[in-house]
Amino acid sequence: MGDRQSAYFLKAEGITKVYSDGTVALRDVDLEVRPGEILGLLGENGAGKTTLTKILSGLLPPTKGRVISPRGPVRFGSPREALDFGIGMVHQHFALVGTFTAVENVALSHERPFTPLHLEETRRKLERLMEESGLRVPLDVPVEKLAVGEQQRVEILKVLSRDVDLLILDEPTSVLTPLEVDELFGLLRRLRDEGKSIILITHKLKEVGAITDRVVVLRKGELVGDFKTAEVSTEQLAQLMVGRPIETELGRPVELAEEPLPRRLSRAKEGVAHTGPGVLHVEDLVVRGDTGELAVQGVSFDVYAGEIFGIAGVEGNGQTELVEALTGLRPAVSGKATINGVDVLGKDPREIYRLGVAHIPEDRWKLGLVLPFTLAENAILGVHRWEEFRGPFSILRWRRINAHVRNLMERFDIQATGPNAPAKSLSGGNQQKLIVGRELAKDPAIIIASQPTRGLDIGAAQYIRDILVEMRNRGRAILLVSADLDEVLALSDRVAIMYEGKFMAVAAPEELDRETIGMLMGGVAVEGRS
Amino acid sequence: MLALLALPVLAGQQQLKGRVAVVLDVGGRGDLSFNDMGFKGTDEAARDFGLEMIEVQNATAADYLPNLRNLARTGQYDLIICVGFLLGDALSQAAEEFPNQKFAIIDSVVDAPNVMSIVFRENEMSALIGALAAMAAAYHGYPAAGMVLGIEIPVLYHFEAGFRFGMDWGLKKYAEVTGETPDVKLLYTYTGTFSDIAAGKAATEAMLAQGAVGVYNVAGPLGIGDLEAISEYHENAGTEFGPPYYFGVDANQDWMGGGKHGLASGMKRVDIGCYTAVKSVVEGTFKGGVISLGLAEGGVGISKVQDLVDFIQFGIDGGSITCDDFYPIMANWARNRATLPCWIWQAVDELEAGILDGSISVPTANTVEEMQAIRAEYTLGAP
Amino acid sequence: MTEVGPGRRFRLLRGAHRTLTGLSPAFESVLAGLVGLLVGAAIMYIWGYDPWRAYFALLRGAYGGSYEWASSVARGVPLVFTALTFSICLRAGMFNIGAEGQLYIGAVAAVTVAMFKLPSGLHLVVGLVFAALAGAFWSLGPAILKLTRGVHEVISTIMFNWIARFLVFYMVAYVLVDPHQAQRTIAIPPTARFPVLIRGTDLSYSVFLAVTFALFVYFLLWHTATGYEVRAAGFNPTAARYGGINIKRTVLLSFLLGGVGAGLAGASVVMGLPPTYAIISGLPQLMNVGFDGMAVAMVGRNHPIGILLAALFFGGLNAGGRVMQFYGANPVPLEMVRVVMGAIVLAMAIPELARMLPATLRALQGLKRLFERRPHVQEGAK
Repeated sequence: MGDRQSAYFLKAEGITKVYSDGTVALRDVDLEVRPGEILGLLGENGAGKTTLTKILSGLLPPTKGRVISPRGPVRFGSPREALDFGIGMVHQHFALVGTFTAVENVALSHERPFTPLHLEETRRKLERLMEESGLRVPLDVPVEKLAVGEQQRVEILKVLSRDVDLLILDEPTSVLTPLEVDELFGLLRRLRDEGKSIILITHKLKEVGAITDRVVVLRKGELVGDFKTAEVSTEQLAQLMVGRPIETELGRPVELAEEPLPRRLSRAKEGVAHTGPGVLHVEDLVVRGDTGELAVQGVSFDVYAGEIFGIAGVEGNGQTELVEALTGLRPAVSGKATINGVDVLGKDPREIYRLGVAHIPEDRWKLGLVLPFTLAENAILGVHRWEEFRGPFSILRWRRINAHVRNLMERFDIQATGPNAPAKSLSGGNQQKLIVGRELAKDPAIIIASQPTRGLDIGAAQYIRDILVEMRNRGRAILLVSADLDEVLALSDRVAIMYEGKFMAVAAPEELDRETIGMLMGGVAVEGRS
Repeated sequence: MLALLALPVLAGQQQLKGRVAVVLDVGGRGDLSFNDMGFKGTDEAARDFGLEMIEVQNATAADYLPNLRNLARTGQYDLIICVGFLLGDALSQAAEEFPNQKFAIIDSVVDAPNVMSIVFRENEMSALIGALAAMAAAYHGYPAAGMVLGIEIPVLYHFEAGFRFGMDWGLKKYAEVTGETPDVKLLYTYTGTFSDIAAGKAATEAMLAQGAVGVYNVAGPLGIGDLEAISEYHENAGTEFGPPYYFGVDANQDWMGGGKHGLASGMKRVDIGCYTAVKSVVEGTFKGGVISLGLAEGGVGISKVQDLVDFIQFGIDGGSITCDDFYPIMANWARNRATLPCWIWQAVDELEAGILDGSISVPTANTVEEMQAIRAEYTLGAP
Repeated sequence: MTEVGPGRRFRLLRGAHRTLTGLSPAFESVLAGLVGLLVGAAIMYIWGYDPWRAYFALLRGAYGGSYEWASSVARGVPLVFTALTFSICLRAGMFNIGAEGQLYIGAVAAVTVAMFKLPSGLHLVVGLVFAALAGAFWSLGPAILKLTRGVHEVISTIMFNWIARFLVFYMVAYVLVDPHQAQRTIAIPPTARFPVLIRGTDLSYSVFLAVTFALFVYFLLWHTATGYEVRAAGFNPTAARYGGINIKRTVLLSFLLGGVGAGLAGASVVMGLPPTYAIISGLPQLMNVGFDGMAVAMVGRNHPIGILLAALFFGGLNAGGRVMQFYGANPVPLEMVRVVMGAIVLAMAIPELARMLPATLRALQGLKRLFERRPHVQEGAK
């Protein structure tokens, strides 16, 4: 148990975390967790929030630095040890057994292997806890039958039942209805008043103001601000979170060889006015997420030929669902979407590709590639039924395919041993180039690129960006979705900022200052914008 | 007992290779009836005549022919015995391919000069069991006697025909002795299987519910299920001996279940069939054709005290029961048999004597038509 | 390292898996086979048999001469078909263990040709078509259940196997029964039998059908767009959907093609294996041919060419194994032979099992996700 008398419960000193692939997730971070305080941990995707909390709760060891308690340095072998010490974490994805009741789930979390479950004892404890905290859940219903908010409460009860002193919540409000959010905040305040420490990971500025006592801002692994919430403005926080633009060379033209892409690609569309319906036209689109929530809530926009339309925003605000709905991977609830005037909702991906759509998917391992397949096999995914590659009786023309692949390898600088190399043997950058090459070979009218440079080294990322710009210059319409704000702002002709399934604003990048963007991304509406 | 039959043999008239093989059907060893009996008879013959015996089992029916070929190709066997009609098809092929190899088959007729086909007159022993069952039912006031059969193959018609004749004879005898005319029906079911023990149990339960005095098992391992149903019936009724009874088949099954419910068995001495075949080869009397074994030849019979003693000993040797079980089984069996008056047992003996001296001839059936004719003649309660 | 318990265990498993699968396939097979033989030898030794002589008998009985080779090949023929059934579906991401039931149904369909007369050759072809269609028809049940209700194919194929089994019991006992020999069905007439290829052996022309079918499956999977779609969907259903591939179509197709294979397996047994040319009551010739095919598929690494080799190996085990029963002074009884066979087969299948496990789990998860989205599909379509 932590010592309530001292000024802090846990202190992180000089934490640096370098992952095995060389990514620096945290750089020399100091943090103090105090009893009786709600601490907000604010930052964009990849800012290091989750890594920091994982180090605090013993899931990851720091590369450098240490975590100390008033009783000395702490080091946990497992989350269970952290729990025994008094640190509990509620993850975004709940760790509950769906067919078990709340009592069973909580009892399960208490037990060591091969010991009996103490269900009655657990029930008494839960009833007492619910009495004290005001947090009510049905105890005898399988948790899969409960609403998401109720499941979260089971998770919180599970952690509280271990008598924790520090409760870490990772984006707890993202799955809750506004009413449930109010209830949760009420609970957190009560717990704080009892002297517990709470860390709230969030990217929502509103929440920081509403509930936290202190706020810490992380950006790209560094701690860039530590304030009493009352003493800092939303604008300040937004600016800190988004940061100053980093100078990168973007938008320079790229050499795409003499006869660049397959012959049909060099045709450029010219002189398309930015009025009326664009190549991609979307109207009041509503799409559900995996758990049935409305992930996209009535979005309307046009993407015109010869422009890059960027969608910025913190991940998980409906971008994925939007792209999936447009590419036929996910059904829409309502609304309209057309490509070159043809309705795409309700069509399958194959029909949509026929309309001239290239799709660079956000998850290249899950969606973009069949990893055990060879380079050649991957290079025809989605175009394998084209006449160029398929003869009579649906026989694949391997010689032509291999020639096509060698062509792609040369033109897009894909480093691989040959067309028969397994895709999984390629580096991330080469895998992405393979996808980009394949998609551009479709001679698309519109390119939908989702997180196209994620996880790539600088050179490869730059190369991909250059290609997108080049395609724009050749008159293609491009929809770019990226969590990398710098990338979106540098590449896009127009940018939309998405928050909770809606566009907070659509504007040219130069019309928006960083502060405004940070506010919009955090869900704070700015005067004069909708 | 079989050893007594063996004659001291000098080197035979023809050069013997000194080896016999017995090929069992897919049921394999351990069925306490058909295959075990075939093994036992060949084994005893081999020992008595100083031969080497080899036993071949089959994983599937597709192995019959390859196994026969493999054995015949070696040319090292004086005789290859096929136990069971299931090997019939494979043997007709193999006999044709290896005309110089001597074969014998139990329970099936293969028409080839090098095959000795050994069949049994099961109708004769079934008549004895039928008479016993009918008189027992009449004596105890039961309305029916039951018969649980396997797949409806011609061999089983022998059993049904004999049993029907025997029941009819027994009822007439009962009327003659007591002056009453009992009304005892025959309940019979072809279960369509020789392996599904549960089917035997279910069929028996249904018959007991209709008042059967006992069931005659004509489906090998299904008897285990039959006996289980009968034992449960006794448990529920709180009785230890008496009806319903179990009538065993092939081997002497009276000792099964501690000897409490097995009243008598219709024994089909597959062991004697195998022994006879080996003996004929050793003595140089082997020839192709059908050999029919009945009561007269000792090939079939109804179980008696001495048979029980032998079979309990067989069971003790095989390890399925211990020496300590001997007297309890004998005692149980005796008490169970004592639930019927002596005159009924004497009547069964009378029928046996009649068959042996030829004064009584038991009908049999080999085809559906013949069977139907017999069913029409001995309706036994069927409309 | 601070690592969660299960995570660490899983990593260990993955490590072992990587070591096992990192070897060259040929070397791996030989190694696995040797391990199996050693285990089998140990078992025989412990129980007092002479493993050296027994294995000598096995080898001679399997590949000792042209008769032995012919027997081994003949045993392998039905297994080629059922192994392909399993492999096609596995390549499509499904664990179809329904070959057993489809085989029964196929065999029954083949036997029905005994009820009418046709010229030689044509009669055989009609029988094969019947069997193939019947096998495909029986695979349709699990396929439809999976596509419309999301029923897992392992569950449904097991159930369909049992239904097939008892249905065929019924057909054999009451519908197709030979009135003169009630223990079996009417026999397929010589006009509809595969002619025996080598006299005095079990080897018939059905071997050519097996090889042709294997080559056809190979060509289909690796050289046509359709097969490409099947394999893509099997490895990564999400990516396949992204690639415009209709997963339901690949699922249905692989089930049907697998059913054709299993149906032909049934036909190859009843039309190609002397002497009975009929189904015997209790299905003793058909029993387990479907399940053994799964082992063949794994030893053959789920590749048609590998399956041909593996089937030859299994046929040899089968043909040679039975010789172990009557070889030498202390022959090995059939029960022990089967224990030894089991050890060898298990050892040979382990590498592929280890390889299949993660891929199968991934594919299952992917498919699960796909089918979970179904309700939304209907909603969206409104």
